[in-house]
Order: sequence, then C-alpha cells, then structure tokens
Amino acid sequence: MDKGELVKTAALAKLKLDENEVETLAIEVSAMLENFSMMMEADVEGLEPTTQTLQQENRTRRDEGPIDSGDNLSNDLLERVPEKEGRFIVIPNVI
Amino acid sequence: MKYQSFVGLEIHIQLISETKVFCSCPNNFGDEPNTNICPVCLGYPGALPSLNEEAVFKALKVCKALNCHINEKAVFDRKNYFYPDMPKNYQITQFESPFGVDGYFNLELDDGSFKKIRIHDVHLEEDAGKMIHDGYQSRLDYNRAGTPLLEIVTEPDLVAGRDAELFVQQFRQMVRYLEVTDGNMEEGSLRCDANTSINLPGMGLGTKTEVKNLNSSRFVNKALTYEIKRHGKILDKGGEIIQETRLWDEKTSTSKSMRTKEDSHDYRYFPEPDLPPYRVTAEMMGKVESAMVELPNDRKKRYIKDQNLSVEQAAFITGERETADWFDSLLKLGAESNQSASWLSGDIQKVLNREEVTLEESPFTAERIKELFDLINTKKISNNIGKDLLQAMFKEDKDPSLLVKEKGLEQVSDTGAVEKVVDEVLAAHPAVVDAVRAGEDKQVGFLMGQLMKATGGKVNPQMAREIIMNKIKGSE
Repeated sequence: MDKGELVKTAALAKLKLDENEVETLAIEVSAMLENFSMMMEADVEGLEPTTQTLQQENRTRRDEGPIDSGDNLSNDLLERVPEKEGRFIVIPNVI
Repeated sequence: MKYQSFVGLEIHIQLISETKVFCSCPNNFGDEPNTNICPVCLGYPGALPSLNEEAVFKALKVCKALNCHINEKAVFDRKNYFYPDMPKNYQITQFESPFGVDGYFNLELDDGSFKKIRIHDVHLEEDAGKMIHDGYQSRLDYNRAGTPLLEIVTEPDLVAGRDAELFVQQFRQMVRYLEVTDGNMEEGSLRCDANTSINLPGMGLGTKTEVKNLNSSRFVNKALTYEIKRHGKILDKGGEIIQETRLWDEKTSTSKSMRTKEDSHDYRYFPEPDLPPYRVTAEMMGKVESAMVELPNDRKKRYIKDQNLSVEQAAFITGERETADWFDSLLKLGAESNQSASWLSGDIQKVLNREEVTLEESPFTAERIKELFDLINTKKISNNIGKDLLQAMFKEDKDPSLLVKEKGLEQVSDTGAVEKVVDEVLAAHPAVVDAVRAGEDKQVGFLMGQLMKATGGKVNPQMAREIIMNKIKGSE
C-alpha cells in the first residue's frame, strides 16, 4: 500500500501513526492486501454477490416493545459506562 | 442573472413508530437520557439488528407518494464513520438498492404553475444519538440512536431558494398527510440539507456546496439565496468554488465552512451482513396502497375545480389533513362548499385560535355545523346569531338546535311583533328618523342596531329593514 493512502486510511479510522509505524505498516498492510487479492482470481462472472449468509430474506419484526421482563437493561448498561453525569455518558470534548 | 443555479435537497424525516428501526427500544422524544438503549443500538459486539415492519411500511408509503420505482429487493448497507453520536462506528443505511428510486414530486410554484422535481431516491436508515458539548467535555444521549429515519434526496431540479422553501413546505404537508412523521422542524423530526451550484447557462452543474443546520423552510430559502450570491461573487472574480459542507448561522445570516468534502466523505459503504435483504411482498404493497390518501396538492386542485373554492380558501383547508377531512365530511352531509369554507376559515377558526384547540379537540363536529347551517339557511336564526351560537356550542358542548331552544334564539318573523318594536325604536329616536327621511340612508344602520339590541338580535334583519324603511319613507 502506498504510504499516502495508508496515512489517509489511518486518519479516517482516527488512528495516529508515527513515521516508524508508517514504514512498517506500509509493508505489512501490503502483504495483507496481497493475501486477500487471491480472492480476485475467482471467476464470479454472472453471479449475484453474497452479502450475507443467513439464507433468508424479509426477516422482520413487529413494531412492538419487548414484553416487560422486569429487568432494567438501560441501567445495567449505564453501570458499565466509565464516566457519567446524571444519565448522560461523558467523554472528552470532540468538537 | 448571469449564472444558472441548481438546488437539490436532502430531507430527513423521523418516522413515527413504537420502537426503533433495528431493535425494540421505545422510539420516544423527550425521555430521560439513555433510558431507551439496549445492546443493539449501543453497538455491543454480537448484538444483531432486526428490521421493524412499521418502518418499512412507512418508507414505502413515502416512496409511493413520490411516484418512485420500488426496488424489488431492498438492501441495507453500512456507512462507516467515527463519531461518538453513533456507537457502532457505522450507520445502517441504504446505498446501492434503497426502497425507492427515480420518483418525482409536482411542486406548486408561487404563480400556481407546477414543476416536476425529480426524486433521486428514498432510503431508510437509523438516526444518530444526541450530543451536548461544552468547553471540555461532550455528553451523550443514545435514546435517538437507532430510531427510524427516512432520507429523501431530490435531483438538482430546484432553481432558487424560494423553490426549495416551497418544496420543504409542500413536502412536509404531504408527509403529515401520510401520517409517517409529525414533521416538526424545530424538534428535528424534519431536517433539511441543501446543495447548490451555479454555472454559466448551458454549462451544466457547477461545483456544489452543501448547507446544513436548516431548521425552518425560511432558513432554507435564506441560506440558499446567500450561497447562490456567494458563489456568483467568487466566480465573478475568477475564483474557484471549493466543494465543502457549510453551516448556516441564523444570527449572522451567513454560512460558514464546516469541513472540506475530500477529507470526510470516504464512507466505505458495504452491504450490511447482519441484515438480510428485504424483498417487497405483494401483501405489503397491498397494505401500502390501501393506506394511501388523496395528497394535499391533488386535494387543493379538486376543491378549486369541483367545489369552486378560491385558491386561498383551498390552501387554508388543505393546510392540515384534519381540516380537509373535516371539510369533506361536512360536504358529504350536504353542506354547501362556499358556506362551509368561509365559516371554517373565518368564525370557526377564530374560536379555535382563541381557545387554542384543534378542530379535532373541539366540540365542532361536522354534524353540528351542518345543523347550524340549516338553522341559518332556513332563516330560523340570523347569520349573526349563528356566530354567537358557535361560541355557545363551544362552551356548552351542545347541539345548536338544542341551544336555540334553550336560549330562545329563534328569529322573530311575526310581522306584527316586529312592527311593534320598530314603532318603539322610531319613537325613541325622532332625530334619526328625520335624517333618514331627508335621504341619509346610512342612518338606518343605527336604527337597525337599536332594534337588534331591543330584541337580542332575534329579528330577521331583512324583514326589519323593510319595515323600518316602509314606516319612514312610506309615511311621507
């Protein structure tokens, strides 16, 4: 992978790379991509792409809430949050 | 204007539903922060989404109303981006094969003519959470994350800010008729981003900019008018437009650069592996078709053409579906359209405004109003008494004929009785009588007023006027 493209991809993934990392990763990522490029050899002419393997269409649900099981899911989930203010989840400013 | 301008809109509407689009958390506005959350909408590993049928139904209703081609197989895609308002780091949306494509909307312009605005596509996606920022931290509320959102993308067929304003207004009216969203722009249930570009005539589209943060149709107009002008100034100087996203700032009435597109627009869409495609069934389409209603612009045309309403009256009545439905039921009972329209837009609306209630919440049923019209049209009561009666109907929640009896409001048409009161009034105001006799017919109004006061407005005004004139002029 070209270094410029690597740096751009890293930026999109919010990853900070120093120069050494760019050097090594450029080689490693290229090797990974090469592995995947083996798939390009398969002849897929006329085949519809497989986007999922659930083998099922129209798996929908009714517009109904869960039957009240008495547990308190949202509170349990909030308990796992590292920093809170009231019921808000607090993170460092992102603007 | 030297340049040709092109405007396209991306409109997001929050769909009304009990639950979110891919999980069964409640879809409620205004709940305590982070009460409607679960592993699916918080993006916990292994949690799987499942599609809400109601959201599909409402999405298809909008596709149908916008004359879209409905894709046989609708597919969901992941739009990847890293921002804390979306805990999964991707948004489930539709990219390659959305529910609807290639539609159109007949936009009514200010001069009454119609313009076909092409719709690029209609796709279903999930909304993001809400963030509140201050100087050093951001607070997150994920109640809105995963609620159903429908995005409608137009082709750049609109020309100016005013067109876009009209589009937003008429589109909002339409989706409210369809009962798919409440369309409240201030609360964000209808949000609009606007794209614009300009170019020399015949040169096609120019480089576009996008303006966000437009929470009223008026701002859409102002922001686009501003952008078109800004582009023109740049091109006049031989400059180049930068393709970017800009934020509208209402306080300064200007737009500000937010970010350049190149850096942020690589969303790496790919098909969502956790959701199977949705093949639109005949059963679902049947349900959609039977739920379709006559849309506001069609209804307006019908009222003008078949019911002889003025453009203004038709616009007023079709403004809200509730009012139009009510009007139709009144016509069905045999009421005359012009009488119905003028009462509805006049006295009935006045009472509703003053009491701050909607037609639906008021005691004014179509049956009662038809009864009121019958009382007036058969001259049992005068038009003015009818207006008072409307107040009484509101306050006492009773049928008009009952109130007429209870309050003794029936018009006095007994000539002898009226003549007696007229004699009393004339005797009490000899100077006015002389003036009328001298040709000042305007003064009759004063005498009529006195007569109405003396009888509580119950005399048939036409008859009373004749008697007064006969008594004064006839005795010459």
